[in-house]
Amino acid sequence: MSDFDPGRRRFLGHLGLAGLGALGASSFLSACASSASGPTAGNGSGAVTIQSNLSSPQAKAAMEKLIANFNAQGKGTASLNTIASETFRTQLPTYLTSANPPDLYTWYAGSVANDYASRNLLLDVSDVWKSLGDYPQSLRTLSTDASGKQVFVPMNNYWWGFFYRKSNFARWGVREPKTWTEFLALCETLKSKGVPPIGIGLGDTPWVASAWFDYLNIRINGAPFHRELLAGKQRFDDPKVKAVLTRWREALPYFDPKGKAYPFQEATTALLAGKTGMFLIGTFFADAAPKDALGDLDFFQFPIVDPAVPVAEEAPTDGFFASAKTANPTGTRALLTYLAGVEAQEAYVKASSGIVLPANPGAKAADSPLVTKGKAMLDGAKELTQFFNRDSSDALQPTADTALTKFMDKPDQIDAILREWQSSAEKVFKG
Amino acid sequence: MNKLRTGAFHTGMILLSLLWLGPVIWVVVMSTRSFDDIAAHGVGSLPRSFTLDTYRQAWTDGGELRALINSMLVTVPSVALSLGLAAMAAFALSRFRIPGRRTILLLMLAGNLLPPQILLIPVAKFSELTGLYDTLWALIAVQVGFGLGFYTFVLHGFMRDLPGEIQEAATIDGAGTAQIFTRVMLPLTRPALAALGALSFTWIFNDLLWAITVLRTDDNMPVTPALLGLQGQFVSSWNVIAAGTVIAAVPTVAVFLRFQRHFVSGLALGAVK
Repeated sequence: MSDFDPGRRRFLGHLGLAGLGALGASSFLSACASSASGPTAGNGSGAVTIQSNLSSPQAKAAMEKLIANFNAQGKGTASLNTIASETFRTQLPTYLTSANPPDLYTWYAGSVANDYASRNLLLDVSDVWKSLGDYPQSLRTLSTDASGKQVFVPMNNYWWGFFYRKSNFARWGVREPKTWTEFLALCETLKSKGVPPIGIGLGDTPWVASAWFDYLNIRINGAPFHRELLAGKQRFDDPKVKAVLTRWREALPYFDPKGKAYPFQEATTALLAGKTGMFLIGTFFADAAPKDALGDLDFFQFPIVDPAVPVAEEAPTDGFFASAKTANPTGTRALLTYLAGVEAQEAYVKASSGIVLPANPGAKAADSPLVTKGKAMLDGAKELTQFFNRDSSDALQPTADTALTKFMDKPDQIDAILREWQSSAEKVFKG
Repeated sequence: MNKLRTGAFHTGMILLSLLWLGPVIWVVVMSTRSFDDIAAHGVGSLPRSFTLDTYRQAWTDGGELRALINSMLVTVPSVALSLGLAAMAAFALSRFRIPGRRTILLLMLAGNLLPPQILLIPVAKFSELTGLYDTLWALIAVQVGFGLGFYTFVLHGFMRDLPGEIQEAATIDGAGTAQIFTRVMLPLTRPALAALGALSFTWIFNDLLWAITVLRTDDNMPVTPALLGLQGQFVSSWNVIAAGTVIAAVPTVAVFLRFQRHFVSGLALGAVK
């Protein structure tokens, strides 16, 4: 028997070691867990965490610079947390409803923010708005929730328009159209020269088609009807909506047939190479353009269809909202006030490469003819809308993608498509 | 005739391997192009520029170093822990008459058949309850938990086929259960462990879903969400992303090359007795 003792002793030794290991692991585990949750478990005066979806390199660098400036001022500390924008989109509800949420978030104004506000997830930032007296009323309305308090602080917006290359328009001998009739005539001219007049990119990015729907709707039926439609107070099978698609159908023969296959980034490449004439898109597309082509870009406003309808423009507004559960509301509001100020907004516009307009009316936008023209267009608009998903919800956007893609394939089935759209929209609104 | 056959065979195989290698080569080529080249000519065109700056951008701007460290911090303990636990479970289930052992094994396997998507919210909430949310520990726990069922199943099948006489001989020589496990069973299971190790390393290293479910701080993100983070909201620098992808593929390729021998022998083991 004694022969086996060493083995048994060794085995016991192993057991002891294993036990120690387990003990060590568990204490390490708890130690790590408590230390890692430290930064976000703000104790009233801790750093304000910003959860940011601005993940493109320039925008990220711009945000980092802003936060560094804020920290240097000594009015509080903030830490930036950049998450890939697609991840951010899907995880935002989880962040907001978690027990220990980040304090501040980059996101969209309007119905998206209001939806979270109605569930009491957003911090009341009316205090911050007291110092934003010179902001235009349109932005204030956009940032106000159903109960009348401000829940959002806008940072910047951008515009949509028909972008084209100046050199190409000169070569083809054509000019910017003002009205729908002129627009169709321009399309006809380009087509006769063998150029597909209207570029679009619907592969992977089918939402680009919603810009056409939004614009035709606000040009034909006006912005109030558009908002009501997207809020579920009007029906998609209404004759007024049918009028939108009927009008769109007039332009369908002029669309680039390849546009259904590739995303808008490649549609940008096609536009720049002169393979399409013009392209209805937001200014963000310029990020996909080589730098030497930027100076040659120009745009024109979506043509007027009915002069009796007050002119509205799409101006998607980006900014910040804060979690209602923030442990440091004072610090969060201080940071918001800083971000809404002239200095921060000018610094952001300067550091980010994108074409954006600062929300603060006192802040200077980038000094380029393109930006000046875009700003003038938005300033001249009677009403501003944002974009389909921002004026409704991310849940309604796929119904538009399905309906509009189908419409572009089978424009003779408008009635059936609209009926289907209405029924899928009803499911979303009830959901 | 014979020559023709060999020629046809080789041409066919060359074409097949090109089909296989095509996407890899495409990514490597794309990673050496400049952004303006891609923007002007599209991602599919022939390269008109050459730069290695993309790798620097992916490494510094993309924070790949930090992300790779995080990935290793998660992957290595996860692989070790899940294979260790699975080996113990498989040993117990295959070599001892534990009541309900079949049910236990089937239950573990059944857990693997659930689509992970339906467990996303419970896992996120549970990791919050336990205070592990946004820590690498949460990710390790999830990876171990989800891998365990499959690894146990595979190792169980392997251990069951080892001759019982070896165990009897060890018992007669006075070895206890733990000793049999560590000194007899584990060395014999090595091919299977090595194969599973290489597989699970790849799975855990390449996982994206769980990482973005239980983590929210960018400093904690492993390499897959970090790659995703290189994409912009609207426009992405595909050349930098391609460079980041090439860098991120290095560890898994290294592990596979190292364990390749075991992997092949592990697959063939049990085929010939």
